[in-house]
Amino acid sequence: MPYNPSVKHKLIRDSVRHFAETELAPIAAEIDRNAVFPVEVIDKMKKLNYFGLQVPKEFGGAALDSVSAAIVVEEISRVCAAVGLCVTVHNGVAVFPFLQFGNKQQNEKYLPRLASGEMIGAFSLTEANAGSDAGSVETTAVKNGNDYILNGTKIFVSNGGVCDLALIFALTNTDQKQLQSSVFIVESTYEGFLRGELEDLCGMRANPVSSLFLENCRVPEANILGKLDMGMKIGMTTLDNGRIGVAAQALGIAQGAFEAAVKYAKERQQFKKPIASLQTIQNYIADMATEQAAARLLLYRACELKDAGEPYGCEAAMAKLYCSSLASKTTSLAVQIHGGYGYSKEYDVERYFRDAKVTEIYEGTSEIQRMVIARAILAKLTL
Amino acid sequence: MLQLVVCIKQVPMVTELPWDEKSGTLRRDLAPGMMNPACKHALEAALQIKEKYSAHITVITMGPPAAKEVLYEALAMGADSTILICDKIFAGSDTYATSWILAQAIKKQCANVDLILCGAFTSDSETAQVGPQLAERMNVPAVAYVEKIEVNGKTLRVRRIVDNFRETLEMECPALVTISMENYLPRYAGLGGLQRAFGEHQIDILDAAALGVGVGDVKQEGSRTKVRRVFLRKTDKENVFLTGVAVNVVSEFLNKYERKISTVIGKSIEGKNRTNEE
Repeated sequence: MPYNPSVKHKLIRDSVRHFAETELAPIAAEIDRNAVFPVEVIDKMKKLNYFGLQVPKEFGGAALDSVSAAIVVEEISRVCAAVGLCVTVHNGVAVFPFLQFGNKQQNEKYLPRLASGEMIGAFSLTEANAGSDAGSVETTAVKNGNDYILNGTKIFVSNGGVCDLALIFALTNTDQKQLQSSVFIVESTYEGFLRGELEDLCGMRANPVSSLFLENCRVPEANILGKLDMGMKIGMTTLDNGRIGVAAQALGIAQGAFEAAVKYAKERQQFKKPIASLQTIQNYIADMATEQAAARLLLYRACELKDAGEPYGCEAAMAKLYCSSLASKTTSLAVQIHGGYGYSKEYDVERYFRDAKVTEIYEGTSEIQRMVIARAILAKLTL
Repeated sequence: MLQLVVCIKQVPMVTELPWDEKSGTLRRDLAPGMMNPACKHALEAALQIKEKYSAHITVITMGPPAAKEVLYEALAMGADSTILICDKIFAGSDTYATSWILAQAIKKQCANVDLILCGAFTSDSETAQVGPQLAERMNVPAVAYVEKIEVNGKTLRVRRIVDNFRETLEMECPALVTISMENYLPRYAGLGGLQRAFGEHQIDILDAAALGVGVGDVKQEGSRTKVRRVFLRKTDKENVFLTGVAVNVVSEFLNKYERKISTVIGKSIEGKNRTNEE
């Protein structure tokens, strides 16, 4: 059982694990194969507060601390990373900006609906020419009376196919000398909000990732999150938090693959003994277990800094960098330990292997994480 | 408002724990604890009664300090208050001593109880004794293996499956039921409930002194059973490998095991077809 800082954390882990193993484990392989979003299980999760992890109680949320929220994402992803993605995107980068930047009216209007899961949220920064370079957004928002008219295309939007609300980054000042973006709260029912086909992706296929098209989409001025031209700040702050979520997700994938590998190593007989008795396999297991323990501490440290109100961007980037690279490494080793069977869709490690890769890419690639970390280190006067 | 008491137990998360051969006790350190499944069904029954008729639910467990975990879980699921009965001198108590300790706690803390609910049995020791024994200690009527409860004032109508028929019984409060795992599928603990369990509730802890219980009542002195020896039953199973051409292997298999298989499945598998094929 992974490290739990408190009794509460252990109980939350046990409870979420029980839910995930009962509800998601039986369908995880199938919904991945057929790229189906598991609506029925999601509905159950809504009732159990999985969509309001850190939303205050007065808005109907669970008001969890950040370690607890990370454990939830870990445990869901340990069984089904695609649903883990849905949960972490919704909570980490769609709900979180409201908690940080939303005004009273916005929070009262949207937080209860987001926390109950009545609305599933998405975060739309990425465009064809803007990813790591968040400043190159080309979607525009032009003022028209009390509204803004949005035009542009967002790509690779996690939850895109099912979201009821998307936070859209759009340029509100197109003067080349002082480009400024703002974040718009866009409901999926607004005219001019259109979804593209679902992407046919390598992993986490049960998450409906799609493009979003804004075609003269009219959005009330009151739906500018925070303040006008605050896009970059909201984006960077939100990504800091989102990285904790992706780190938790990657760690959950690694944990799932690790457990499958250990179980298999104890069962699989070669040379008339379980392969777990071979020193090479034991070394793999020891390294995986040690690195996972380290990754978990790195992740929870970022969570605790966040809850303490300390700066945590650098630590979140470290956690994301380490956990995602660990996920790729662990899932690869898990496939290796399974041998030929690991390359077959009959075994879960094949799915974990495909799921892990993108954790090194989205919410900032590993290269971007290193930039964030190095920038923070180099800015310090004392180390 | 009905006063309900649910007795629950923390058990190891795996069904087959190894024994420590020297002490004769289970190696509980090898597996994390969880709420015993039948106890969870009993709690669910109480929660459904609460939703339908309005009730106050007190959940009680006896165990080491770590058993608090299952009480927090009970709070998260919807219990109103919880009691942990915890004292080193309680270690090693059998069902006879345990039911006595539980009865003291209920008499002391929940004197006006209407209904006590227990799981029908635990997954670790499976005696199914504590519930009925507790009813004797409390001097209240008891029905075991209940799968449905209806409340009408202070009268309970309960249904249970006995052998191959259903039995409906009526009993007056205060009473005790043990709940089977047929119905009352336990709800999941919600995340908000879990958070609130730790923030808004406290667990009352009762030790031997608080209960007025002495060493003579509990532990080995108060227990009527003693574990003399624990051993693994030796089995004389052997693996038999049949090799060769498939037709011959099947034929050899049937010749060797036909009678055994017939006995197990309850009908003859000797057929004309096989004779013809041969």
